[in-house]
Amino acid sequence: MNTALFAQLATLGSSVVLIFGITLLWRRSLTAYVDAFRWQSVVLSALFVLIGYYGDDPELYFVAAFFFILKVIILPVYLRRLQARVKVVNEIEPYINIATSLILAGLLVLLAYAVTRPLVMVSTLPTRGGLPLAMGLIFVGLFVVITRKKALTQIVGFLVMENGIAMLAALGTYGVPFIIELGVFLDVLMGFLVMQVFVYHIYGTFESIDVNQLSELKH
Amino acid sequence: MIFFLLLLPPLLAALLAWLVRPYRTWVGWVNAALSLLSFAAALSLAAQAAAGGEAPTWGFALGLLNLEEVLRADSLAALILICVTFVAALTLFLSPGLRGDRRFNAAHLRRYQIFINLFIVAMLLATAANNVGVMWIAIEATTIFSAFLIPLKLTKASVEASWKYILLGSVGIALAFAGTVLAYFDFFTFFGRVETALNWSELVTMAPRLQPEVMQLAFVFLLIGYGAKAGIAPMHTWKPDAYGEAPPTLTALMSSALFAVAMYAIIRWKTVTDITLQNHYTDNLLLALGIFSLVVAAFSVVLATNYKRMLAYSSIEHTGLICLGLALGPVGVFAALLHLLNHTAAKSTMFLLVDNVERRYPTPLIANTRGLLKALPWTGALFAIGLLILIGLPPGAIFISEYGIFRAGFLMGQPWLMGAALVLLAIVFVSFINHLNQMLYGAPPETVTTGERFSWRLALLLPGVVVLIVLGLTLPSPLATLLQQSVAIVAP
Repeated sequence: MNTALFAQLATLGSSVVLIFGITLLWRRSLTAYVDAFRWQSVVLSALFVLIGYYGDDPELYFVAAFFFILKVIILPVYLRRLQARVKVVNEIEPYINIATSLILAGLLVLLAYAVTRPLVMVSTLPTRGGLPLAMGLIFVGLFVVITRKKALTQIVGFLVMENGIAMLAALGTYGVPFIIELGVFLDVLMGFLVMQVFVYHIYGTFESIDVNQLSELKH
Repeated sequence: MIFFLLLLPPLLAALLAWLVRPYRTWVGWVNAALSLLSFAAALSLAAQAAAGGEAPTWGFALGLLNLEEVLRADSLAALILICVTFVAALTLFLSPGLRGDRRFNAAHLRRYQIFINLFIVAMLLATAANNVGVMWIAIEATTIFSAFLIPLKLTKASVEASWKYILLGSVGIALAFAGTVLAYFDFFTFFGRVETALNWSELVTMAPRLQPEVMQLAFVFLLIGYGAKAGIAPMHTWKPDAYGEAPPTLTALMSSALFAVAMYAIIRWKTVTDITLQNHYTDNLLLALGIFSLVVAAFSVVLATNYKRMLAYSSIEHTGLICLGLALGPVGVFAALLHLLNHTAAKSTMFLLVDNVERRYPTPLIANTRGLLKALPWTGALFAIGLLILIGLPPGAIFISEYGIFRAGFLMGQPWLMGAALVLLAIVFVSFINHLNQMLYGAPPETVTTGERFSWRLALLLPGVVVLIVLGLTLPSPLATLLQQSVAIVAP
């Protein structure tokens, strides 16, 4: 495979990953969010395999495998179970409505392009075209966490943000050192388990997972 | 080796607490004794660092896994390790599981002992790690372990506090990881794939040849990320809630030790970024955030109605001061590091005293906590002394380090900023005296039993206060040596 084809495939993969991320702002049903995250992780695993193949780095095959098992198999199963338990179906009224959210997402991606200009100019890797898209995904994930009301959506937003950072590492450096990657997986898994426990707690004490209700603590 | 003596005792303590089911009091005592081993190890590392010479390191390499020099303890790390192990030992001896406590049952206590020891080992690993990736993993682990402990008793308020804590903490830490990836990207683009690239000692050596704009972007992410963990405004919103709802012994650890570790992470990255950028970019960022933290703290303290939240706002105030100090050259860094040490001693003492107050008074509202001197004479007196030291009254260590920061500010040509900071500190001072007056005097509510025996537990809180007064009068030379060496590391 030549460099041009690799660069194009990498950029295509990154774009698809970003679009799945923006789906979180477009759809309202929590099932759609979990699906978007799942498919995003599938494409991202494929991207890792692609980079491993072209960059001749077998470590990335292991990373892709761990990634797939964690984010395509384990986490969505837990998320589905969580959703069934708390019986929530839709994000009813987010703080910012869908149309405005999508426009803001576009602006965030533009901001990402501006912010990552030094990165793209400095990098010599063929995958550097996807760096702004990875940064855009980080911003979109952050946006979801801030503007959505259901705790479950906030968790998915956080996971999407983590995907963005993983993509940034893969596109910019062909992956961080393996021990760090392992540690990150462990932390993401444990972080998710803790958050899951808390959503159960929230549901148990508040009878809903609307984070608007979590406003008792003032001065 | 010395690193094993530092890191293994809390791990063993957590393991012991996990194995013994149901919880028994002797587990608490064994764990407290184990924490003394870590403290001894930290002191030994500090002595080694003060004596000069190469910083001790530890690492291994196993085929694909190259972890050479993954742990390293220089003077700065030794200072923070002393802070963490001191507060850890104090907290474990004063933990709820070692005496009768109606607030928690056996299941709560077992969970508490497991997670608090895991929390301690994560903080120690973060400080001793030379590899910034391992440091990141350990700090993320601290968020997770402490999140299990905040809602020890499930109430609406504690669930709300822990949700904000875990969400803000995780998002912040994720941003810090993005910053770490960006810094690695900078290194990788110019020097290729080097296994030890993420070792701080390596980064500092290669820093002059890294690309400035990329490091600028990386530092912004790192400051926001680790700043959220440290509680720098505007990423501070979880602090009052978490400190207000968590068990006070956990809060003592979070507000002093974890805070020190988070600031340590920021300081390490600031050092690397400053070498690359060679301008005042990081200083300006820290000045802006520092003043903003002071503003937020000052106005919040005036409105505070809950004494635990009040102490959280005081933490935000001191966070702001430390940020200011770090931005003011070597003189400021010296004062900021001293302030970090002093704040550790002061805040931990205050929250451990709050633990005593909480056992007697039903709610943490200031309005309901009257007559502290009559109901708890010893605790009330220590609380008053501690609070006066905390807001900067001489002869207290906090007064000395605040004076140092202001002196640095005037030396570095920031008179207006220092003037504003002084005004804000004065506002905090007056509000605290006002709240303290409300709490100390008057008659305690009828439901509160009065009288307090002087026990060894109160005696354990005295060294902290003594240290604060001694440091307000003089600076012992081993400490001065360690501080000067640390400043040389941070601001060469």
